[in-house]
Amino acid sequence: MIEVDGKQVPWSENWTMASLLETLDNVEFCAVARLNGRLVSSPKFAETIIPDNSKIQLLPLVAGG
Amino acid sequence: MSQINLKEIKAISYKKATIKKGYTDQSLRVNLDANNIIINPIEEKIKNKFIGGKGYDLWLMWNAVKASTKWNDPENAICISSGPLGGTPGYPGGGKSIVTAISPLTGAPIDSNVGGYFGPYKKFSGFDVIQVDGKAKEDTVIFIDGIESKIKIFEAKNLPSDSYELSDTLTRYFDEDKPVNVSVVTAGPGAEHTFFGCLNFSWWDAGRKRVRYKQAGRGGIGTVFADKKIKAIVARYGAISMKSNNPADFDGLKLVTKTHAKEINELDPKQNRMSLVGTTHLVPIMNDHDCLPVHNFKFGSHPESRVIGEEVYEHIFDKGFDGCWKGCTVACSHGVKDFSPFTGPYRGKKVFVDGPEYETVAGCGSNLGIFDAQTILEINFYCDAYGLDTISVGTSLGFVMECFENHLITTDHTDGMDLSFGSRFNALEIIHQMARGEGFGAIVGKGIRQMKQIFAKDFGADMAFMQDIGMESKGLEFSEYITKESLAQQGGYGLALKGPQHDEAWLIFLDMVHNFMPTFEDKAEALHWFPMFRTWFGLCGLCKLPWNDIVPEDNKNTPEPAKVMKHIGWYADFFSAVTGRKTGPDDIITMSEAVYNFQRIFNLKMGFGTREHDTVPYRAVGPVTVEEYESRQKRYDEQLKEKYGLDISTMTSKDKVAALRQKREEQYELLKDAVYERRGWNKNGIPTIATVKRLGIDFPEVMEVLKKNGIE
Repeated sequence: MIEVDGKQVPWSENWTMASLLETLDNVEFCAVARLNGRLVSSPKFAETIIPDNSKIQLLPLVAGG
Repeated sequence: MSQINLKEIKAISYKKATIKKGYTDQSLRVNLDANNIIINPIEEKIKNKFIGGKGYDLWLMWNAVKASTKWNDPENAICISSGPLGGTPGYPGGGKSIVTAISPLTGAPIDSNVGGYFGPYKKFSGFDVIQVDGKAKEDTVIFIDGIESKIKIFEAKNLPSDSYELSDTLTRYFDEDKPVNVSVVTAGPGAEHTFFGCLNFSWWDAGRKRVRYKQAGRGGIGTVFADKKIKAIVARYGAISMKSNNPADFDGLKLVTKTHAKEINELDPKQNRMSLVGTTHLVPIMNDHDCLPVHNFKFGSHPESRVIGEEVYEHIFDKGFDGCWKGCTVACSHGVKDFSPFTGPYRGKKVFVDGPEYETVAGCGSNLGIFDAQTILEINFYCDAYGLDTISVGTSLGFVMECFENHLITTDHTDGMDLSFGSRFNALEIIHQMARGEGFGAIVGKGIRQMKQIFAKDFGADMAFMQDIGMESKGLEFSEYITKESLAQQGGYGLALKGPQHDEAWLIFLDMVHNFMPTFEDKAEALHWFPMFRTWFGLCGLCKLPWNDIVPEDNKNTPEPAKVMKHIGWYADFFSAVTGRKTGPDDIITMSEAVYNFQRIFNLKMGFGTREHDTVPYRAVGPVTVEEYESRQKRYDEQLKEKYGLDISTMTSKDKVAALRQKREEQYELLKDAVYERRGWNKNGIPTIATVKRLGIDFPEVMEVLKKNGIE
């Protein structure tokens, strides 16, 4: 299992951030996430593998300075 | 150091105005030519139209300056206001001051939004806004004592020259027993010798028992301050509560304050973690999206940026409460204690560094090829202590370094210094020179627009190339975002009233990443709505971060997530509760639109404010050089082929640079047309008669300026 925004989600092997987002609603504004505390940006979603037991927070739209 | 000497040369006692619904309805004018202290009422019609904050500042300035006024003329006025909502303890970001003056860099009105306690202390002392004009003959300190109800002007001797020591000295001097009662505005020697001097606004950090400060950085207001021989403006006031503003609906104010603060407490740790890392989380995010300025905005990312982002600064920042306003739950004003500079007058001593924020890391770090967290801290420290805007310093030095690497300037011009990218010791030396007004640093301190003239005239440098790479617009240096792939943000910078600062609009992700505004009309709508809404923070005395840097968990399910409408509803409630003016979200836009258009016409009054002044250097729009093009060749080749339908099979890289430039520059001009139309301006970027009448700013003097510019 992994935790996404506080909710338990079943984990799949070789899941990436991009494939996770495809399963979620209303995430078109998600350009950045925290994967186990570390920032991951959208250009790296496809190459970022999600380990089992991960904790993920989808950050809201990035608003700049 | 000798004992400081403050000789009182003027003092008045005054009857403190009762604050009603966020307003004192009084302004304070200090004229330094004659040492006059004048208290004036603020008319109801001015209050209703200009709201407060930047609106009040601009109105007073409009009446103070002539069209011919230059930044260093005595009549140039520094105005400071906090707005009707400013000074609400516990409301996140509820203690800002907005400062304005005619800028040494742009020649037009500049505004800067800053934390610290000065604005609220000044208001609760009895004044919605202060205006300081004239020029003192000797170093001067102005003291607004809201506890004793006195205003004093002192001639000052033997004061420390830098802000770091000066703020501390004056805080203790004016209230040794309760330093928390004091907030000091200071500049520094860098402000005296450059055109991009900043102002430091202090507050007393009770936990660390030391003075802290934030900066009104942009546009050289510190330079105006120093030119007037003002060493400091000090405000002193006692305890503040949520009742200090005498709000119309106290229970409503308590409710909305508690609601917003609670949300931030709950969500910031899950979102941007600003209470831990400030805005340094933006460094890796911008880097990953190719938006972090590297080597004078040439590139948008660099592998070494990982050592100057949140992962490093989180461990360096001193732990503790870091709100620049009482009870602010965003609390993003972090700092580093016991830092030991390795250059300059504080070399080897232990100092507290207030910062860095994202803009300083990006401008004085990656943009200069300096990927060293310690050097960035040292640059941050000295810029603050000397009173220098870190954004203009970083962007100007980036320009210098690119000129140096392209042999437009050489060691013959730089006092023998190698100013290649990454030259961290020499970058610091330039900053020390700026503070002393000596050497090549004195030239850099004039800002990019003047450097281009000097380099061309005196050093024979290629002006056309410098126009392309010099990251200034309207004379102001760019803040720290790469905009090449976001046409909307090119407009966000180029069409901003005061010059390229991101506080009007930050649309890069909505445009570039999310493709949320594909048409010119979409972009124009965004470049209308966002600047108008963001202007409102400056009218009311608020910080924008709590609006959209921490957002409700259900925000993504709303029809317009980028606007964070739930928060806008809270802001309308906040305004209604304090002022008693029943306000909805649409009213916020209308309030801002009047002041926004007034500022545009103020630019026009000063000889600017038309289409030709809304240009940006091509570096902000696309790749200037073959090196830049080839660094992102796949992206640009695809655009030429797919977006513009060109056959590029026989083109050299140089040809492609030229072809892309033609297309992108056309797009930028079309964007201007669309935005002007949406804002109710003519093709030359001037508000029409219908627009000023609709907004109720058709004052005779406004109409006169329009008439002089052919608008009748």
